Amino acid sequence: MRIGLLHLLHQGLFGGLAASGFGILFNFGWRDVPWCAASGALALATRTLGQDAGWTLEAASFSAAIAVGCAAKLLHARIGIGSNALAVAGCIPMVPGAFAAKGFFGLYALTAPQPSRPSCQRSTTTEYTLRVLFTLVAIGTGLSITKAT
Amino acid sequence: MDALFVPDPYVPQPTLVEFELDRVAVVALLASRLLMESGAAANVVHEECYRIAHGLGAERVDLDAGYVSLEITVARGVARVTRITEVGPHGVDYRLSHEVRVLAKRISDGGLTPAEVMSELTRLKQSTGRHAPWVVALAVGIACASFGRLLGMDWPAYIPVAFSGAVGQWVRHLLLRRGTNLFVVICFVALLASGLAGLGARFVGSTTVDLAMLSSILLLVPGVPLLDGQQDIVQGYPMLGTARVVTCSMMLICMATGVLIARTLLGVRQ
Repeated sequence: MRIGLLHLLHQGLFGGLAASGFGILFNFGWRDVPWCAASGALALATRTLGQDAGWTLEAASFSAAIAVGCAAKLLHARIGIGSNALAVAGCIPMVPGAFAAKGFFGLYALTAPQPSRPSCQRSTTTEYTLRVLFTLVAIGTGLSITKAT
Repeated sequence: MDALFVPDPYVPQPTLVEFELDRVAVVALLASRLLMESGAAANVVHEECYRIAHGLGAERVDLDAGYVSLEITVARGVARVTRITEVGPHGVDYRLSHEVRVLAKRISDGGLTPAEVMSELTRLKQSTGRHAPWVVALAVGIACASFGRLLGMDWPAYIPVAFSGAVGQWVRHLLLRRGTNLFVVICFVALLASGLAGLGARFVGSTTVDLAMLSSILLLVPGVPLLDGQQDIVQGYPMLGTARVVTCSMMLICMATGVLIARTLLGVRQ
């Protein structure tokens, strides 16, 4: 398994930036925003490691949610933020919003009066929709498991 | 807020226990409502509501958390009081949610009266800090552009996407403050932000215009409500969970519609 260190750093950095930006949108205090960034960076780094190891997006997202949920739980007593809130903030960059949008584009294309290559459109749309569903379920399940333990 | 506790002269007067229970029900409902409106999952709302009502002296508590209303019954001995309240727009505010949960812990430790809790909740609602809108817009812009990088967008598109995401967030804030319908806001902001991102990305010579347009609208993806909805269903609150998921699906449809219009106007190929 060869992991591109630069790629890993890139994903961690931008995962952290995305999570901290959304942390501010979700009204985390300034003291907690760096923890959101750390949570997002951990999530994206774990998911990237998983995908580099050949796992599916869903399996990698599940592992990342578990990793972030455990880290948030361990840090809960030390930093005082709700562990679930911190874990959710970290997982937000993994929510497949772009896939969801592409899935809906596909649905619109299929319902056009004369769809081009409808069978190809159908399979792409189904793939995007299933990926959104499975990834969301993977993240939610990962978070629920760490919350319940 | 004390007006809530004034007995109606046209109905039979409640007993002292019922009067006390009424106060407990009102404060427990207000706390639950604040939690719902700040993006807490159903099990959190239930846990904190039970903790508050028990901490204030109720022996039995039943809460029905719906998407648009909350209903509570509190009882002590044979006395029983039922109250219902509306839930306002669902947002995400972790600071407020955290403060309410800290207060609930204090209540369960004992020593607070319903009137003190009511004034504390009112103070939290009014004075819990929020980031300035321009700070939020800037942060959201950077977050959208960072999402873009994660999706494989090229570097030249970073600034245009950050700018359009920030403009989109600013416009969303203004429209929601004016009371515009949430779904109309989403559709309009998606059209505006993706249109700006598409134009900007083309102007700077980006080769990933399509990804830039998609990245600029990721601020509209209801990530927290989607995860909350899933958690609600898994943890035994299917009605609330389903309502959240259906609302999120409508939001995603509106978002995709806005981008699709922008793509058609700009002639971006799918």
